[in-house]
Amino acid sequence: MVPFKRLFSSSLGRKYLMGASGLALVLFILVHLLGNLTFYSHNGDATNAYSAKLHSLGLLLVVAEWGLFAVIILHIYMAFQVTYRSKVARPIGYDSLKSKGGPTKSNVTTRNMIYTGIVLLVFLIIHLKQFRFGPDLEDGYTATVNGVMVDDVYRVGVETFQNVGWVAFYVFSMFFLGFHFRHGFWSMFQSLGALNPRWSKPIHAMGLIIAILMAVGFLGIPIYLHVTQGGVQ
Amino acid sequence: MSDETIKTTTGGLNSGVPGGPLAQKWDNYKANMKLVNPANKRKYSVIVVGTGLAGGAAAASLAELGYNVKAFCVQDSARRAHSIAAQGGINAAKSYPNDGDSVWRLFYDTIKGGDYRAREGNVYRLAQNSTAIIDQCVAQGIPFAREYSGELANRSFGGAQVSRTFYARGQTGQQLLLGAYSALMKEVDKGKVELYTYHEMLDVVMVDGKCRGIITRDLKTGKIERHAADVVILGTGGYGRIYFLSTNAMNSNTTAIWRAHKKGALFGNPCYVQIHPTCIPVSGSHQAKLTLMSESLRNDGRVWVPKKKEDCTKDPKSIAEADRDYFLERKYPSFGNLVPRDVASRNAKEMCDEGRGVGETGRAVYLDFKDVIKRDGKAAVEERYGNLFDMYHEITNENPYEVPMRIYPAVHYTMGGLWVDYSLMTTLPGLFCSGEANFSDHGANRLGASALMQGLSDGYFVLPYTVTNYLGTHSQELLKKVETSHPEFEKAEKEVRAGIDGLLERGKAGKRTPTEIYRDLGLVMWEYVGMARTEAGLKTAIQKIKELQNDFDTNLKLTGDDQFNKNLESAGRLGDFLELGALMAQDALARTESCGGHFRVESQTPEGEAKRDDEHFAYVAAWEYKGKNNSAVLHKEQLIFENVKPSVRSYK
Amino acid sequence: MEHKHSEKKMNVRLKIWRQEGPKTPGKFEEFSLSDILTDMSFLEMLDVLNEKLIHEGKRPVEYESDCREGICGTCSLMISGQAHGPNRGATTCQLYMRSFDNNELITIEPWRAKSFPVIRDLVTDRSSFDRIISAGGYVSVKTGPHADANAILVAKDLSDRAMDAAACIGCGACVAACPNASASLFTSAKITQFALLPQGHPERSRRAIRMVDQMDKEGFGSCSNLQECEAACPKKISIQNITIMKQEYLKAAIAADFRAGMGSADGGA
Repeated sequence: MVPFKRLFSSSLGRKYLMGASGLALVLFILVHLLGNLTFYSHNGDATNAYSAKLHSLGLLLVVAEWGLFAVIILHIYMAFQVTYRSKVARPIGYDSLKSKGGPTKSNVTTRNMIYTGIVLLVFLIIHLKQFRFGPDLEDGYTATVNGVMVDDVYRVGVETFQNVGWVAFYVFSMFFLGFHFRHGFWSMFQSLGALNPRWSKPIHAMGLIIAILMAVGFLGIPIYLHVTQGGVQ
Repeated sequence: MSDETIKTTTGGLNSGVPGGPLAQKWDNYKANMKLVNPANKRKYSVIVVGTGLAGGAAAASLAELGYNVKAFCVQDSARRAHSIAAQGGINAAKSYPNDGDSVWRLFYDTIKGGDYRAREGNVYRLAQNSTAIIDQCVAQGIPFAREYSGELANRSFGGAQVSRTFYARGQTGQQLLLGAYSALMKEVDKGKVELYTYHEMLDVVMVDGKCRGIITRDLKTGKIERHAADVVILGTGGYGRIYFLSTNAMNSNTTAIWRAHKKGALFGNPCYVQIHPTCIPVSGSHQAKLTLMSESLRNDGRVWVPKKKEDCTKDPKSIAEADRDYFLERKYPSFGNLVPRDVASRNAKEMCDEGRGVGETGRAVYLDFKDVIKRDGKAAVEERYGNLFDMYHEITNENPYEVPMRIYPAVHYTMGGLWVDYSLMTTLPGLFCSGEANFSDHGANRLGASALMQGLSDGYFVLPYTVTNYLGTHSQELLKKVETSHPEFEKAEKEVRAGIDGLLERGKAGKRTPTEIYRDLGLVMWEYVGMARTEAGLKTAIQKIKELQNDFDTNLKLTGDDQFNKNLESAGRLGDFLELGALMAQDALARTESCGGHFRVESQTPEGEAKRDDEHFAYVAAWEYKGKNNSAVLHKEQLIFENVKPSVRSYK
Repeated sequence: MEHKHSEKKMNVRLKIWRQEGPKTPGKFEEFSLSDILTDMSFLEMLDVLNEKLIHEGKRPVEYESDCREGICGTCSLMISGQAHGPNRGATTCQLYMRSFDNNELITIEPWRAKSFPVIRDLVTDRSSFDRIISAGGYVSVKTGPHADANAILVAKDLSDRAMDAAACIGCGACVAACPNASASLFTSAKITQFALLPQGHPERSRRAIRMVDQMDKEGFGSCSNLQECEAACPKKISIQNITIMKQEYLKAAIAADFRAGMGSADGGA
């Protein structure tokens, strides 16, 4: 017998995994945002120091990255499973389907988590290509932090966001992150069976606040860099 | 002891009530009944038609014993049976409130409430079983209302001076039914019950003098099917929908018991109909169904009409306290608004006949919650009756927290049904009948919160014993299985097929839809066989029903085919209702006394109360079918009262 | 409660799904009715339509109803995209024509889900719900003598919450309204009722696993936590029940694995 087989084979199991992987991603994104706040400093030192600190973790970083990769794959796989099964469950759609209001959380964005998720996936691939697998030491993107030579991640950011197109793409994507987060945050607690009626509303409200802070925090970076560093070559 | 020997003769029909003191009759029965050993139980099959409290509970319990059960219902699921709509509660002589209740008192209240027209032995058994029912239901996880102590809560109900009613908000019937349904589905899971939903029973099959099966129609596909068994139980509910407008569900019908009657089962007391006092009044000719407001409302609501006729059209809130006539409190000081249903209904009718009725049609009285809202606060009233108030508001567009409710009596329950002996067996051997479908325990009037009690008593605690006794007694014969290829099945199926085809065939040519004829039948029944009956009126009814029968036979309009077709179902049931209607009028005509829900205008006291005639009418009228064009023949089961003395029923 | 229309009579235009049988494709058909009373119930309006159709020699529109007071769960119409129509906390049979505008076009469809196949027109087969209950929606006690009812004490608040869950009428509006056609609310209401009551505890693991497995087997969709089921539920059953189902199932799924290791037979595990 496969241990915890039900987690993968049942509808509820799939939602636990969606919720758990979502939780891991939320935690990652929060940490990522905290690190990225260094972009708001007047030069690249803080950003590059932060980046260097991460790289110094060595094996730990490799494990974390692969772990994150696995979590993302799991989240995506479960998302497609859930969506596919739901489509199959209603082969003939309604002429019209209208929400009844009241306590409902149904709206264009919550019903289309799969699409906001796909936008985020596309964003993620481009973002990784630009930063994780972008120019580094070997390409001459160097900076000195405390007398040590490190990657100049800051320069990558500055150069990327000189292009208005990229700024727009990032801002656009971060809106989707906000939407995805708005439902995902509360939903992950519900999926894990971790809500009670008293917490439900505060957590739903907290989801909105975090979604806004997160989206604004991230989408501010390209704009800030474009405005403050746009002229520097 | 076989089921023959436990019968004692009580008049023309053998009720089979065991001997011995009242309190020991049921114990005596159980001590002397025949048993069936576990290995043999697997060899017997039982058909249960109807999956409400009386049918569902029996099917589940018999399957638990080891019998092979087939359960049938006309609905899409066994959970939809009309037992689900009972609101107020279920009585039991638990005496938890310490207010003087006992098995004896529940027995006594029920016999008296039924105006001394029920069998002592049956009613006492019912009262005895009542406590086990509550234990059973709690063990099943039914969420009855509870006190802060964690113990069960009780409330009072009409016709009793103790609080013995257990309830689950205003949805007691729903919760009890879901309990029986769950038990049934548990046995379906185990493979001991085969469930046939969307199946209508259209005939019983008799082989060598014993009931050995049924003919059904699959309502989805139209297929006529044969099912063989060793025992058939009908728990198919009452026939109140003969009035077209009633509180019964749209699918409630008399077909199963009527077809059994036509095969030879006697029909007991067809004229005993309960008219429930607290229903939402009729609003127009388009209406298909009336809505009951639970009798529990009479615990706190006060019933009144204006003293002066000219006040009837005024805003009720503007009518001064001195100008209101709280007629139930005035006429029945000790029971007040909690008088039994028949008394409350008749008085409401009387007020309206006097011209003091209210509302647009003048056929309604007020049920006012002003005082209780003042005394206990709106929140308390909301907790007790919130869902009922919302329902009223939704239907009438009036807010009962502000304006008094308007209520009027409506047909709700039929005490009559197939005649059964103490073992709940009809006059057809092997055919049992339980719950509202039989005539047994309520006499001429049923007390509130007693229907659920009877259905579950029959299903959980009577039939498992009496069916076993029957099988044990006739094992020699019943272990020889009858196949569905038997000529009797063949013949019955052919007749059923011809009936359906006949409806569809003549439906092509006629002019009147089933609903149109049905509505007319309802009006005739309500007008002449309703709350007040006269000799002339009943004769008129018989004549008018004959005309409607003719309409049905020669001028019916039907479209569609024999697959899922609600109007075809309705037409088939209407045919049975028309025949039953004539019998009800005949029974009411023969019973020239007034008793319980049967009020003959010719037989009343100077104060206008029902006047019984024990000397001539202390019997159960059991009618034998003699063919469509012949008059039914009356058999009598004399009622013997050894423990209570029939007295004038007074609630003053 | 909304009351849009104050006059006594109104006209209605109807767009109704017609389908001969389970295997034939369906299509919409339009009808119009005049002089409909605003005090009529929605189903009485359909009765008027059907009487008219029969007189015209046409097959009436098949739909189901039984108690017509909102408790049996038989009626089941998708009315202009909303399960049981526009009013919250009400079934189709509790809907009155005064909730609609004069000349409003009303679309009527059956519940749509793979697990609720159409029988004819607006009538669907909901036996999948029966099979979910059959898998464990009960306490496995037999008929017979039991301990006195008051020997089992249940805290009033727990009993009340169990009753909230038990109020489910099994109509299927939750499935119909869910964008994913999920039966989570229905299944969870029964699991929760027995999870809250001591009577349900001995078989709570078995129940959670078997009922959820059956729900999946029937082909219902996944829950996306949209809470539209609660909005559509005529008994306003809360998605808190789904939360509890998730707890019960998680505990049961883990426990089942451990027990399987110990050689204990856990039904369905």
